[in-house]
Amino acid sequence: MVLLEGKNLNKCFNDKQGYTNALKDVSFSLNKGEVLGVVGESGSGKSTLLRVVSGMIPPTGGSLLYKGEEYTGKRPRKTGEFLQVIFQNAKSSFDPRMTMEKAILENGRGKKDRAEILELLKLVGLEERQLSKRAGELSGGQCQRMSIARAFYSEAEILLCDEITSALDVSTQARVVELLQKLKSDGKLSAIFISHDIALVSMICDKIMVMKGGRCVEQGTTAEVIGSPKDEYTKLLIDSARRQSV
Amino acid sequence: MKHGTRREKRLRNRIIATAVLALLIILATTFAGILAPNDPYATSASSIRMAPGAQYPFGTDNLGRCVFSRVLYGGRTTIAATFLLVFISFLIGTVIGMLCGYYGGILDTVLMRLADIMLAFPQMVVAIAVAGILNAGMTGAMVALGITMWVSFARLARSHTFSIKNEAYIQAAFFAGKSDFYIIMVHIFPNLLAPVLTNALTQIGTTMIGLSGLSFLGLGVVPPKAEWGSMISEGRAYIQIAPWAVLFPALATIITIIIFNYLGDAVMDYMEV
Amino acid sequence: MAESLLQIRNLSASYDESFVLKGIDLTVYKGEILCIVGESGSGKSTLIKAICSDKSVRVTEGDILFREKRCGHELLGSSIGLVQQNPEGAFNPLRAFDVQFKETLKSHKRELDKKKLSGIFTTLGLKDAEKLLKMKPFEMSGGMNQRMAIAASLILEPELLLCDEITSALDVSTAIAAVDELLRLRSELGVTIVFVTHNLGIAANIADRVAIMYQGKIVEIGDAGDVLRNPKHDYTKGLLRDVPKLKLS
Repeated sequence: MVLLEGKNLNKCFNDKQGYTNALKDVSFSLNKGEVLGVVGESGSGKSTLLRVVSGMIPPTGGSLLYKGEEYTGKRPRKTGEFLQVIFQNAKSSFDPRMTMEKAILENGRGKKDRAEILELLKLVGLEERQLSKRAGELSGGQCQRMSIARAFYSEAEILLCDEITSALDVSTQARVVELLQKLKSDGKLSAIFISHDIALVSMICDKIMVMKGGRCVEQGTTAEVIGSPKDEYTKLLIDSARRQSV
Repeated sequence: MKHGTRREKRLRNRIIATAVLALLIILATTFAGILAPNDPYATSASSIRMAPGAQYPFGTDNLGRCVFSRVLYGGRTTIAATFLLVFISFLIGTVIGMLCGYYGGILDTVLMRLADIMLAFPQMVVAIAVAGILNAGMTGAMVALGITMWVSFARLARSHTFSIKNEAYIQAAFFAGKSDFYIIMVHIFPNLLAPVLTNALTQIGTTMIGLSGLSFLGLGVVPPKAEWGSMISEGRAYIQIAPWAVLFPALATIITIIIFNYLGDAVMDYMEV
Repeated sequence: MAESLLQIRNLSASYDESFVLKGIDLTVYKGEILCIVGESGSGKSTLIKAICSDKSVRVTEGDILFREKRCGHELLGSSIGLVQQNPEGAFNPLRAFDVQFKETLKSHKRELDKKKLSGIFTTLGLKDAEKLLKMKPFEMSGGMNQRMAIAASLILEPELLLCDEITSALDVSTAIAAVDELLRLRSELGVTIVFVTHNLGIAANIADRVAIMYQGKIVEIGDAGDVLRNPKHDYTKGLLRDVPKLKLS
C-alpha cells in the first residue's frame, strides 16, 4: 500500500541574491513498512525535500499525497497526524525545561497512556527512570531514542528522519541504526531516511534516492543503486564510501 | 570546572548578600506601621526642626513631623509603586514582545516602530510631559514612566522569542498539533523568563530614581503623603537650618538604589556565566 | 627507526579539575602520518591543544618534546602548523586571502614567496592561485576554505602539521579529495602529519600508524594495517564493527 507520495515537487526560494531552485521535479513514493533513503551532499536539496514533505514549507509546484489523499500546503499541525519528524539534533528537539515524560505526552494529542509510554521506552531501549530527566541530562544517543519514542507515541505512521545520526559518535550511531533495523524487521517502521552517508543508508533502506543540486539523479532499490549505479555522481558517492570503509 | 565554580560561588555570595539587604529594606518599609516611633503625619508646633535625638532619630521637619517615620512610610510608597510599575511594564512588555517575535509581520513592524518612537525621546522628558498633562499623584507618575518602560521588556522578549521560535522543539510542538497559545505559554514564555526577569531587576533602580525625581519636581505624590523625592524637595527650602530633613531621605534613596542596582548587576553577571 | 620529531612522555593534562589525559606516551617520527582516532570525549582534541601549548589546558605531569626540546608557544606556526575543524574560523571572512596570508607571514618576519605559494597551491589541487588569492573566504565553499587553511598553515613551512578533525565538516567526496591532497603533500614536501579524527575510514586511507584513544588514554597504537585488521583492544574491535559498511542487498 502506498502511504506517501510526492509528485513533481518543486521549491524555489526568493531571496536577496535572486532566485534559487532548491528542488526540481522530485517524485517519490513510500510504501507501508518501507524505508526510503535520500542521499546527497550539502546543498543537494535533501533537507528542503524533508521540509516540503513534512509541511514545514509549502512546495512551489507539485503535489503531496497521503494514502492517495492530497495534503499539499497543509501545515505541520495537520501533517503531524500521520507523519513525524526526527530532527538531526535530538537535544534541541526537546524543550530544555520539560521532562521527557511531559514531552512525550505532549505528542499524544490529548492521549494519556503511561503504559504505552513504558512499552515504547522498552522498544527503543531506554529505562523508566529516564522519563523524569530533561534533555540536558541525557546523552545525544538517548535523546535520539527518546525522540523516536515520542514520534511513535503520536501514532503517526511515517517517520521523516533528518540526518538523525550525524551528530552522534560512531558507536552511538551504530546503536541507533540497530534500533531502526529492529523496528523495520518488526514491520513497525515506514520512514524516509535522509543522510549524507550512503553506506549508512544502504544498511537501513529498501529504496535509495540520490540527490544533487535539487534534482533526483538516480532512484531505485538499494541493490540496484549500490550494485549497479548508473549515474556518475552515484558512482562517486559509492566510491568515496568504499574508500572510507575499513 | 574549578575556575568557573569559584567565580560562580563568588557571584552567588554577592547575590545573596545584596538580596538580604534588599529584603531588609523591603521589610522595614512594609512594616513601617510597627517600626515607626511616631505618626508620620502628626504635626507639632513645639518640636519644629529638631535635631536628631532619642525621640526623633532623624530629627523633625518644618512642621515638626518625625523624619525617621516619614522616611519609613515614604519608602513604602516609593518601593511599592516601583515594584508595581516594573511588574506591569514587565507583563505588558513581555506579552507585546512575544507576540511580535512569534507572529512577526505587520503587527511586529507597527509595534516596534512605536517602540522606536518611545525611545527617541529621553525617558525623563517624556515622563515629565505626560505627568504634567495627567493629574498629579502617584498613578500619574507611574503611567508617565510606564509609557516608555515597557519598551525594553518588549525588545528583550522579542529577540528571545525569535531565537526560541527557530529551535527544533517548537517545530516538534507544531507536529504535536499544539496551538499558538499553548506554544507561547508552555514553550516560549518559561524559556525567556530568566533574561527578562533579570532585566526587571536592573530596572528597579532606574524606576526608583524616576519616581522620586517626578515627586521631587512636584509631579508625583501630593505633599502631605510621605515620599522620598517630595521630602527632599520640601526640605530643600530650609536645608541650612535643618539639613537632616534632606539628608536622611536622600541617603535612603541613594542606598536603596545602589542596593537594587547592585543586585540586578550581580544577577545579570551570574546569568552570563 | 626513523628520526623522532615529537615526543610525548607520560603526559597528563586537565581542564581545571577533571583529568582529560592520563599518562600519554607517544612518539611521532619524521615524515610519517599518524592518525589519532577517538570518539567525542576521548581527549584527542585536548592532546592537540596540549601540543600547541594552549593555555586552557593544564599539563600536570609529563613532557612534550619537539626535536628534544620542550614545546613552547614560539614553535606554533613556524615549526608546528595547525589546521582546525572549522575552516571559516581560521580566516576573517571579509578580507581577501592574499592580505591575510601576508599578515601571517609578517608576524613571523617573512616575505610572501609567490613561487613557493603557487607550488603549495598546485600540490593542494588549487588552480589559478592569483585569482583565488584575490577572493574572500565568504565567497568560497567549505572544502575550498579548508584547502586555503591548509595552504595558510603550510606557507611557514612547518615540519609538523596538526590536523584536528579537518574532514568532519566536509562532504564525503570532498573529504576523500582532501585526504588525497594531504598524502600528496607528504610525498612532495615531506611534512609530518598528525591527523586527528573520529572516522576510522578516513584513518584507514591516510595513516601510516594509528593510535586509538579512549577515555583519555591511548588504548592501542601500531601500524595502520595491524590495528585496523587485527585489533587487540576490545574498544577498537567495537569501533571497527560500528563503522557503517556499504550493504549490497
